[in-house]
Amino acid sequence: MHARFAAFTVLIAGGLLASVPVVRLQAHHSFAAEFDGNRPMRLVGTITKVEWTNPHSYFYIDVKDDQGKVTNWACEGGGPGALSRRGWKRGDLKLGDTLIVDGYLARDGSHLIDARRVTLPDGRIVSGASAGDGGPQVPGTTNP
Amino acid sequence: MKIAYLTTALAILMLCAPHASAQGVDELARADVKSSKPAPRTAEGHTDFNGYWKSIRGTITGNIGKDLPGMKLPLTPAGEAALQHNLTATIDPESLCIIGGTPRHNASGLPFEIVQSQKKVVFLYFYSYYRAIPVDGRKHTEDPDPSFFGEEIGRWEGDTLVVDSTGFKDEKVWIDENANPHSDALHVVERWTRPDFEHIHVDTLIEDSKFYTKPFHYARTWILGQPDETLAEYSCSENNVDQSHLGFGPGGIRPDGTRGYIDPKPLPPPVTPAKK
Repeated sequence: MHARFAAFTVLIAGGLLASVPVVRLQAHHSFAAEFDGNRPMRLVGTITKVEWTNPHSYFYIDVKDDQGKVTNWACEGGGPGALSRRGWKRGDLKLGDTLIVDGYLARDGSHLIDARRVTLPDGRIVSGASAGDGGPQVPGTTNP
Repeated sequence: MKIAYLTTALAILMLCAPHASAQGVDELARADVKSSKPAPRTAEGHTDFNGYWKSIRGTITGNIGKDLPGMKLPLTPAGEAALQHNLTATIDPESLCIIGGTPRHNASGLPFEIVQSQKKVVFLYFYSYYRAIPVDGRKHTEDPDPSFFGEEIGRWEGDTLVVDSTGFKDEKVWIDENANPHSDALHVVERWTRPDFEHIHVDTLIEDSKFYTKPFHYARTWILGQPDETLAEYSCSENNVDQSHLGFGPGGIRPDGTRGYIDPKPLPPPVTPAKK
């Protein structure tokens, strides 16, 4: 009985997900032209620079590896208009704050990722994705 | 024990809820609605197209061949060669801050705005580009300077605004987001209508005898945005860091005709539940 109930629950949840209409829009460039969909990664680092600009916003974080070596990464997000519509304001990013950034590595292997999902210092999880770039949908964020 | 399962069920539904509500955000597209009001008219009695127009959720965008069987464009051998060139040797011109032009902007998923006067209809686009179409009885010039939007001449046929465009550029252009090509022989005829208050529609005839064996159509309907919605400033070359990281072509095309990975690997799970 319990197993059936659990299966029912998963079915309902899956049905809800499946019933959500898929949105396909266009952005400044295709996600697939810049990022590798097979190389998701998580970065945890401190903010060193914020560029609240078009066609993309960028923020840069220092990430320390297991050996203590620090590397500066660029995180590419949507433009200010897109991010603001999701409730993400420029003032949410302060130098020295710690961010968790889940995204996809640039296809050219440089220290650049798509800031698909960002956990802000206050705990909010927001989408940094470029609106309608054809990239993966990310549950738990206001991903377009 | 049942309570435990109920908790599990609620937890799963809560995980789904942000996803569902996120999809409900009308950032660039809007769910369709049935309109109860007729299209407005200008003082001159023409169809009034003024408004902020958004994609209807579920529309296939970015693919100029979406209305063709199998979405297969009737490419000539020269057109096929141009497509392969676009796919393997060109970066999306729009990402290099080059105007998308006609008909690419009509295939885009991004909103646009129309400002209409007695003798001009102006389309304002998301990337701060615009086209101002004269509707004053003039004819095409003999040898227009090539441009991305072409030389556009408007005329009224009843309630329909017909925009006839020739004189296109043939370099640094993709006809849509998927890197399909067009040549300088492109001729586009757009027939714009407003079937009711909430909707605007275009039926587009695309002719290009160099790259396509026969003319084909592209049709599309958009929905009216909210009264306070408008375009924001967008300076494409302000900080185009991504430009040097972009590969050739649009990347993969999915079975539904849109660009993107078919089955990307998932991100790590979120570290904490999303706060409201």
